[in-house]
Amino acid sequence: MNAVMQEAVKQPPPSVELISEMQQTLYREARLLDAEAYDEWVTMLTEDLHYHMPGIETRYRRDKTDQVGDLKRMAYYNDSLEDLNKRLRRLKTGTAWSEDPATRYVHLIGNVEVEHTAQANEYKVYSTFLAYRCRNERDQDTLYGNREDIWRRTSRGLQLARRLIVLKQNVLLSKNLNIYL
Amino acid sequence: MKLEDLNPRRDYSGFMDLDEGWVSRRIFHDQDIYEAEMRNIFARCWLFVAHETQIPKPGDFLTTYMGEDTVIVCRQKDLSIKVFINSCPHRGNKVCYADAGNARRFVCNYHGWGFDTAGKLQGMHEEYCYDPGDIDKSKWGLKEVAKVGSYKGLVFATFDPTAPSLEDYLGDYRWYLDCIVDNDEGGTELIGGCIKSIIPANWKFGVENFVGDAYHAGWTHDSGTRAMNEGNAFPPIDMVNSFHASANGHGHEFGLEGVGDIFLLGRPKVMEYFCSVLRPRMAKRLGEKRSMIFGSVASASIFPNVSYLPGISTFRTWLPKGPMQLELRTWVIVNRNMPDEIKDEITTGVMQTFGPGGAFEMDDGENWENCTATNRGVVTREEKLHYRCGIGRRLDHPEFPGIIYRGQYNDANQRNFYRRWQDLMNSNGTWSDVPDRNGNRLKGRETRDLPLGLQSL
Repeated sequence: MNAVMQEAVKQPPPSVELISEMQQTLYREARLLDAEAYDEWVTMLTEDLHYHMPGIETRYRRDKTDQVGDLKRMAYYNDSLEDLNKRLRRLKTGTAWSEDPATRYVHLIGNVEVEHTAQANEYKVYSTFLAYRCRNERDQDTLYGNREDIWRRTSRGLQLARRLIVLKQNVLLSKNLNIYL
Repeated sequence: MKLEDLNPRRDYSGFMDLDEGWVSRRIFHDQDIYEAEMRNIFARCWLFVAHETQIPKPGDFLTTYMGEDTVIVCRQKDLSIKVFINSCPHRGNKVCYADAGNARRFVCNYHGWGFDTAGKLQGMHEEYCYDPGDIDKSKWGLKEVAKVGSYKGLVFATFDPTAPSLEDYLGDYRWYLDCIVDNDEGGTELIGGCIKSIIPANWKFGVENFVGDAYHAGWTHDSGTRAMNEGNAFPPIDMVNSFHASANGHGHEFGLEGVGDIFLLGRPKVMEYFCSVLRPRMAKRLGEKRSMIFGSVASASIFPNVSYLPGISTFRTWLPKGPMQLELRTWVIVNRNMPDEIKDEITTGVMQTFGPGGAFEMDDGENWENCTATNRGVVTREEKLHYRCGIGRRLDHPEFPGIIYRGQYNDANQRNFYRRWQDLMNSNGTWSDVPDRNGNRLKGRETRDLPLGLQSL
């Protein structure tokens, strides 16, 4: 199933408390990612996670190719929790040379919108990111894009079940993606 | 005006000594050398532009680059493929701004000059303003490349009308190339979409890495290997039963254990499929030896700028963007008749290992970037780079075509890549000046008929 298949069913607007709780959750997630606290970040992810960042070509407007929903197309990330954990294992080996010295990260999250879904314990959350990295002397780049999430309230608190990341670039203007968005 | 008239004759021999085993740093940095590469290599060689399966129907197109020349690759009504320069003959504007799609015509946004999918000028905005005699439309279409060729699904194009045929250009390398493009009925396809990224490095560092650098894998990619394989390190290399093979600049380095690259993908279902289903078919189709080359620890490059990993299934080109930047375009390559589940597993595996977020790919970029950037220093760039590994291990193999060296930890394919580089850079203008270094002994033969390589001749 694609990252965010919950159709917008007319729901009551979210309470101020829910919006605040969700924003704080997203900001906490961003702070963990800034700090490379991946073990803690993973506790915010559900077992049935789908984490998807499609590769999107430049096409004319009339082109109806579904570059976002078609999961058979190439993607930067198209991961289950197990897939994500595999990637994260690289950082624990101590031999990820391009991570030493450490990258300096800033995840800036904004434009947060929260919607109820047909599931009482699941929320659809939109957000926008500006993700900045700086390495070594002056090696820097910035990624911008939108996210569509499904967050689920579980016994462990709010956890991320689905994330669709739409990066607003065609050619990735970075030499790698050593970052989670 | 011919391109070569603009390039004063230079001798590029001074930038390397491949018998001694060194290369000058300046070829990775110098703007004049880069310009000469664009003329002597990219304007003359066969360059990969598309896979047949990317543009199946008339009107299907994609855009890419040959060197830094921007081109459109378009399937014609008669199912042939045309490649033309993506630039209006009027004032030069691009006529196509999309990466891919389907079109019935290409129209310039500036003055509405419209071209059909064969590149013919059909009409212009307010055409009446051109008096009779102002323009002969038949002479002002989109400029086509000199030749388009297709080898088992891979579409190449060249600007040089004197270039040898595509088959002759690939030469003996076809015996190795067929390991990935012709190992089963139905041939290959590139899975939906292209992932593009930039690396601030000279294009040659990417190509030479894949042409022969098995040596870096166990060190650069130690973290990636362990992540994908339950903490296990890079497999031990058999320096007796592994080889470098090079033919006219193209190169494939490989072991014969049959599983190393598939193992690195980290997808057990794919390993199962390759070993129990595909390998026996491959052995029948291509011979036992080639069925063991495929899937082994191996990497390959087609001169000048195509690379791939059989078994891992990543296929890519390195587009030059100035001497200190490359654009990497990468695809997943699979057999068309693989079950959907296997194609999905391979796609996921490639993105986990060799996409920009891939556990392996991530550690390469910074290495190559800094191999390039350090040469800004005027003193640094006068130094030589060491390419002598295995320089004494050449052998005449009874089966393997090309120039063969023993032991896949070696600089042999890299040396032979630069040999071809030097041959092209020094043969200012004509293909007849470019030596064939015993790289086409299988000329005219379908390699499926040659399971034992040279011994089958």
